[in-house]
Amino acid sequence: MNFRLFLTAFFFCLSLIPAAMAQESASPLVKVRLLPEYSRIEPGQEFWVGIEQSIAPHWHTYWRNPGDSGSAPRIHWNLPEGFEMSEIYWPTPDKIPYPPLLNYGYSDHVILLQKLRAPETLPDEALTLKADVEILVCKDECIPEFSTHTLQLNDPAGMSEDNASYIKSALARLPENTDQSVSITEKDGQLIVTKSLADGETYSDAELASFEYFPQDWGLVDNTKDAAASIKDGALVITQPRGDRSLGALKQSHGLLAYTNENGARNALDFTAAHEGTGPLMLSAETMPEDGQETDISMFLQAALFALLGGLVLNLMPCVFPVLSIKALSLVKIAEKHPEMARRHGLAYTAGVVLSFLFIAGILIALKAGGAGIGWGFQLQNPIIVALLAYILFLVGLKLSGYFEISGHFGQVGNALTQGGGLKGSFFTGVLATLVATPCTAPFMALAIGYALTQSALVSLSVFAALGFGLALPYLALSFAPALQSRLPKPGAWMQTFQQFLAFPMFASAVWLVWVLGQQVGPLGMMGVLFGMVAIAFGLWLLNHLPEKGLGRFILKALVVLSFLAPIGLIPAGTPPEMSDASFSSAPIKDQFGQAYSPESLSALLAEDDPVFVEMTAAWCITCKVNHAVAINTRSTKAAFAEHNVKYVVGDWTNYDEEITKFLNSYGRDGVPIYVYYGARDAQTGERPQAQILPQILTPETIKKAIREAS
Amino acid sequence: MHHIFKLMAAIALLFTAAPAFAEAQVGQAAPAFTATDIDGNTVSLESLKGKTVVLEWSNHLCPFVMKHYETGNMQKTQQAAMDQGVTWITIVSSAEGRQGHVSAEEAKKIAEDAGAHYSHKILDESGEIGQAYGAKTTPHMFVINPEGTLVYAGAIDDNPSPRHETVEGAKNYVLAALDDLAAGKAVEIATSQPYGCAVKYNY
Repeated sequence: MNFRLFLTAFFFCLSLIPAAMAQESASPLVKVRLLPEYSRIEPGQEFWVGIEQSIAPHWHTYWRNPGDSGSAPRIHWNLPEGFEMSEIYWPTPDKIPYPPLLNYGYSDHVILLQKLRAPETLPDEALTLKADVEILVCKDECIPEFSTHTLQLNDPAGMSEDNASYIKSALARLPENTDQSVSITEKDGQLIVTKSLADGETYSDAELASFEYFPQDWGLVDNTKDAAASIKDGALVITQPRGDRSLGALKQSHGLLAYTNENGARNALDFTAAHEGTGPLMLSAETMPEDGQETDISMFLQAALFALLGGLVLNLMPCVFPVLSIKALSLVKIAEKHPEMARRHGLAYTAGVVLSFLFIAGILIALKAGGAGIGWGFQLQNPIIVALLAYILFLVGLKLSGYFEISGHFGQVGNALTQGGGLKGSFFTGVLATLVATPCTAPFMALAIGYALTQSALVSLSVFAALGFGLALPYLALSFAPALQSRLPKPGAWMQTFQQFLAFPMFASAVWLVWVLGQQVGPLGMMGVLFGMVAIAFGLWLLNHLPEKGLGRFILKALVVLSFLAPIGLIPAGTPPEMSDASFSSAPIKDQFGQAYSPESLSALLAEDDPVFVEMTAAWCITCKVNHAVAINTRSTKAAFAEHNVKYVVGDWTNYDEEITKFLNSYGRDGVPIYVYYGARDAQTGERPQAQILPQILTPETIKKAIREAS
Repeated sequence: MHHIFKLMAAIALLFTAAPAFAEAQVGQAAPAFTATDIDGNTVSLESLKGKTVVLEWSNHLCPFVMKHYETGNMQKTQQAAMDQGVTWITIVSSAEGRQGHVSAEEAKKIAEDAGAHYSHKILDESGEIGQAYGAKTTPHMFVINPEGTLVYAGAIDDNPSPRHETVEGAKNYVLAALDDLAAGKAVEIATSQPYGCAVKYNY
């Protein structure tokens, strides 16, 4: 132990000699000491070197961004061949006021760290590492100090030195990396840093009050002003008055958020924030010019138009189309005799669709306001709803195929849902159409919904209403325009056949939903629902074969009730959406060639140089599945990925996943799919080009074009 | 008694200094000022309309100022600018009793010893001009075009090291801005992070 002390002292003295030569002052204001984690190293070993500054009282040195004045220290290494040195890891600095200015730096004592990697082969002799250190130290005046230091490693004559615990204490003072998505933007003369909160990440009022923001880039904020921190919509929001540098050219910015926790310890988060203003977010409010009302209205109209078009497209989805066809056919029957009645049906149907959209959107908005990390399509993240939808589609299919023709209690429900004589029937057809349409978030809808959900509740709801109106429009038009009606084929016996045929898309949709359920709850839960379907079919059969009277009828009726209740009991319960860590949930991506998304894996990949392609998908999202099949999981795209070293990352949003929701939100989206391409890091500037969001109708060509343009 | 004055001054500053330290914005009109230089001439920015003006904040005891004077870099920049007809104004905002505060006679001698070139040298001991421009460091450089618009604010070059040998090979932002102006172009690099010692304001 004493020997180690001696050795340290020896190195210290050694370090002073060149310092004294470079600096006229005999006793420097900053005593610099280099400390290797280990003095004996193996080939290929990675280890830390601490650059310790002992600073004279009342003097300070600087952080990497020195603030209003000053200059960051520099270390030039002279390393033996094959050694590699990382950049400097900087401990969290302090704010050092120097009115009317403010600096970011260190007082008393600080240890900068650098990571060294030894080459794969090492000579059998002592290794000498040399560092020229230049540090500006200021109090009222400033003095630059220059010193040269050497480190001896693997000295056969020296003792083995282990500073691991010392290095560990220095590492503890480094800011933590945060994997949460962080963005910066400016508004009304304030810089706004928004960091999404991780699970269980909370701050007390006292902690919030202690927040300080240290930007690595100069001029982003007025350094002398304090940051204000608050929690808003599940995110930590830091604002600080802007500095004088234009944000225009800045694509991203590194920085620290430091705070003092309840125990009085100082914590800091290290982050890389995307600058929202430069993102390709067509409908992002930040990218729009600032002249108020007018743009807001045009943005709103644009979103509403997209929503309307999206709703129209939904009519063609395989699960929606049969429902509508039946409605259209029944309309013809009615319209022939009672045109006025036809119009009423059209209105009832439209009301059903629009109100259901508003209902679902209302729930979504309320949940989001409550801080839930969910997005559009959340309905299908709940296995109970998926199971119920599967039952409904199965029932509709059975009805269409003519499996049951009954009057009575249950029959009316089926009737109301499909063919329905009354206006109520039309209304519920609208509800049904909405329910089955939600998974097929059509291409035009994502941006509109993403926009809608960032706006006030009123604007959100209006956009959703436009979406519903789009879905209802074809039928509404039909019911109001006799000219269109006359174009429909004349009713006849063929309708029966056609209706039976339409049962098959319904069954197919039901099968697909059962598969989705399988992804969510596993094979056992899936089997439960399949048995539920058998029970439904059995119950319906039984209902058609009830004895006229007697005890038998009573018992069998009870059995019917039982077989209709059984499916509900068979819905896999106790599978909360949080089960995303269960092994089944990753099943849909297991057969893909990409790696699973996590904020950690993505930021690790982005920290490297290769291009990255991110796909966010869900089992219940048809658009996603089609895109994946035709554009991603193809030989040519795989070859393009391989050729350009594109790292392919897939996020599965089949179940509730807050991290993925945050990713979607950070690109202004609120649903899947989304495809983001991060081009390779430029060898010269060390920067990545702006991330590209690819269209939601994806072709192999689009992907290749993105790869080409970014390289 | 002296302390009470100081205290009162400090309180007064609390109310006035914050808005006074309004930084000049590149692309906007440079803040107007009128002052008497060390040679007794009256200088006003208004009267310099039609000429390109460079403002240099200085403190002869600051190691970063010394870096640029001892290597001759600042003098070279001054000469090159003034050869193009640029008005060069060196401003010292060190407050009384603080580092770099000098009398007019001392200021003349310092400039003479260093072989400095300037059109005017102003002692801004109240810090009024410095704070109007948001001058933070020595050196901190500003370039004003003939229309009176601030077109560059920031460091003299892109190497913030105090090492003298780093002057060589550094990109001189002031000369680059003057070249852009002479070529009738917009100044390409219009801002940069100023580096050096903090200006020793009266605080």
